[in-house]
Amino acid sequence: MVQARELSVPRRRAARTGARRRYAPRWRVLAVFLLPALLLYSVFIVYPLVSALDYSFFEWRGIRQTGFAGLGNYRDLLSVYPYDQQLWRAFGHNALFFGGTMLIQNTVGLLFALLLFRYGRGKRFLQAAFTTPYLVDPLVVGYLWSLLLNPTFGPVNALLDAVGLDSWALPWLGDTRTALPIVILVNAWQWVGFPMLMFSAALAGIPAEYHEAARVDGASAWQAFRRVTLPLLTPAIGVVSVLTFIGNFNAFGLVYAMAGSSGSPAGSTDVLGLLFYRVGFVEGGVEAIGRSSALAVLMFVFIFGVSLLATSYFRRRERRLV
Amino acid sequence: MNPTLGENERNCGPKGSLMKRRWIAGAIGVLAVALAACAPGGGASDQGDKAGADKVTLSLWSWRVEDVKAYEKILAKFEESHPKIHVEFKPFQATEYNNILATGLSSSGGPDVAQLRAYGGLQPLVEADQLLPLDGKVEALSGFDAKLLEGSKGHTDGKIYGVPFAYQTLQVLYNKKLFSDNGIEVPATWDDMIAAAKKLKAAGITPFAVAAGPDATWTLPITHEIFGNARYGSTAFRDALVKGEKKFTDPDFTASVKLIKDLEPYFPKDVVAVKIPDVQALFVTGKAAMYPTGTFDLAPVLAADPSLELGIFQVPPPPGSPVTTPVTPGWADGSFGVNAKSAHQAEALELVKWMATPEFGQLYATELKQLSAVPGVTPSDPLLAEMAKNYAGNGAPYTLLVNFRYGQPNGDAVFRDEVQKMLTGQTDPEAVAASVQKGVEQWFKPGN
Repeated sequence: MVQARELSVPRRRAARTGARRRYAPRWRVLAVFLLPALLLYSVFIVYPLVSALDYSFFEWRGIRQTGFAGLGNYRDLLSVYPYDQQLWRAFGHNALFFGGTMLIQNTVGLLFALLLFRYGRGKRFLQAAFTTPYLVDPLVVGYLWSLLLNPTFGPVNALLDAVGLDSWALPWLGDTRTALPIVILVNAWQWVGFPMLMFSAALAGIPAEYHEAARVDGASAWQAFRRVTLPLLTPAIGVVSVLTFIGNFNAFGLVYAMAGSSGSPAGSTDVLGLLFYRVGFVEGGVEAIGRSSALAVLMFVFIFGVSLLATSYFRRRERRLV
Repeated sequence: MNPTLGENERNCGPKGSLMKRRWIAGAIGVLAVALAACAPGGGASDQGDKAGADKVTLSLWSWRVEDVKAYEKILAKFEESHPKIHVEFKPFQATEYNNILATGLSSSGGPDVAQLRAYGGLQPLVEADQLLPLDGKVEALSGFDAKLLEGSKGHTDGKIYGVPFAYQTLQVLYNKKLFSDNGIEVPATWDDMIAAAKKLKAAGITPFAVAAGPDATWTLPITHEIFGNARYGSTAFRDALVKGEKKFTDPDFTASVKLIKDLEPYFPKDVVAVKIPDVQALFVTGKAAMYPTGTFDLAPVLAADPSLELGIFQVPPPPGSPVTTPVTPGWADGSFGVNAKSAHQAEALELVKWMATPEFGQLYATELKQLSAVPGVTPSDPLLAEMAKNYAGNGAPYTLLVNFRYGQPNGDAVFRDEVQKMLTGQTDPEAVAASVQKGVEQWFKPGN
């Protein structure tokens, strides 16, 4: 905020000193630069969003609209078996996914960032190593891990057998108790580099004097972290949390690759993205477009709403820091 | 930041005005090209008009990207006997095909003739009036197997919208060498089959290569059909279901579901985590002896090991079955239909009429190693010929696919999730049957 205010001052001054007339047609230049992006954004983002909203209010038979449905599709989604149960189950799994990711991925990411910040040795290499998995598409990561964890041919269980831990050689992705935790762990494995980089950047921005002052005052390492570092990381925590939330509630590729479209086994890894895919594309049925659009709208409203609330919450926390 | 901003401003000085115009022109040009590329291309029909006054080009859409060469060969034969028609085969990604076709049929650049999904997959196109009914237009259809024609009929109007091209049958593939090594004969009764499975398991061989993992849920209803079709009562039960005389909660249907649970000890370990490629590998490498599957798996299995000695058998009816002879469940794969908006309907009809002739059927069976739906075509491959014979003699419907995919939730989607739950011990056969009934009765009206 402070930076932005400083930057805008010279520009305003320039405008006041008659520069505006000299550059009168500037909006056209702006338009040329903005128009392509705006057009693409409208065609590929705004239009699909608006049309999903539009579709969700109509009755469908295949690709033919047969009449205005009002909230009929939304009601169906919440009342037709098995969607009435699958919707809440998937929502619950998304919440677990988010909670697990915050707890594991983002905490470990913070730990890595702190360690790299404290002990600089091999920093470049380790940073690169931790962020490499996110160069790979989640679908590929999912298939790789499901191969590794394959109970028949996979090396993970073969290794466990070889070292005498055969009681640990579980069907990881075939057990309703372990499947979702495994998906969360693999997701964390892929994305742990992201919170690490965010927190590293934030740590580098904390003036060293604060820590020195804390040490002079006799604070222990933990106290210094808890009272000085962590509060100053609030902006980074906010950004990481909101992006994790958006990513996790939109999860699809990784879960699809590891658990198929039905959230195998027995729906224990089913998430909203998979439910949408099934209703819209897999199961067919002449009602598919209306119901899947309704689900897409619900997901968007929820994710957008919570993201806005979370952002404003973290803004307020940040303001309190200043 | 400041210096950069200054530079930009300098560039937009008097000299910049000419550049600006070029910029705008350039940007508009780029956009125009991009938009043109996005717009649907002119259909093959338009090209046909330009190509010559009397030669018509038909566009044929398909989801079989892998069959381009075979179709070129097949269609060349058609063009020999129909010199005034040229057919352009245009395949699309199978997973995207339904949406591409629905869009194509509603706009002007669509196909003249299109490969159509069967049963519930066809219904959205029928309801949108996008296809030409073929009743009375393709006489040869009256000779087709009635069970297979169901796949290309509209659900409510009963009209035929396509010429069926292929069908799938369900049976057990077995490894002849493993059977003889273990002194096992092709089972004549259910108990023989269980005894054989026990023997194989004791010898360290997986008896049945069945997958129930994340990619395999769609094969669970297939496994159920292979072992349980006779147990639930086959065609008679299906007819009773459709008329509303029976429900999925019927004890016979429940008993057929329970068979899957009973057979679980003879499936690979941790079957719920096992994927389709895993069981194919088990079967191909001789680690599993029997592979309950459809015709569609014959080619991939033989491609993996052409030297594999394979046999097939129909599962003997389990004790208590209402149907006492072994059955071969099957279904129509799809059909070829005519776009209601085609500019060359007469020629398109010529093509689909030809697709109902034994000439096409034989070419199709030979080139694609599939079971042709055209009556009187015998496959040259002995295993395929046996499957065709079994289906002709004891064909049965794959009930959940054939009759219960017309609404949401579709019958086999509910079924496979519930069966997976049953295999993980979270539910029982009665609850599986009850869920299927609860799911489909929300849209299914008996009597249709």
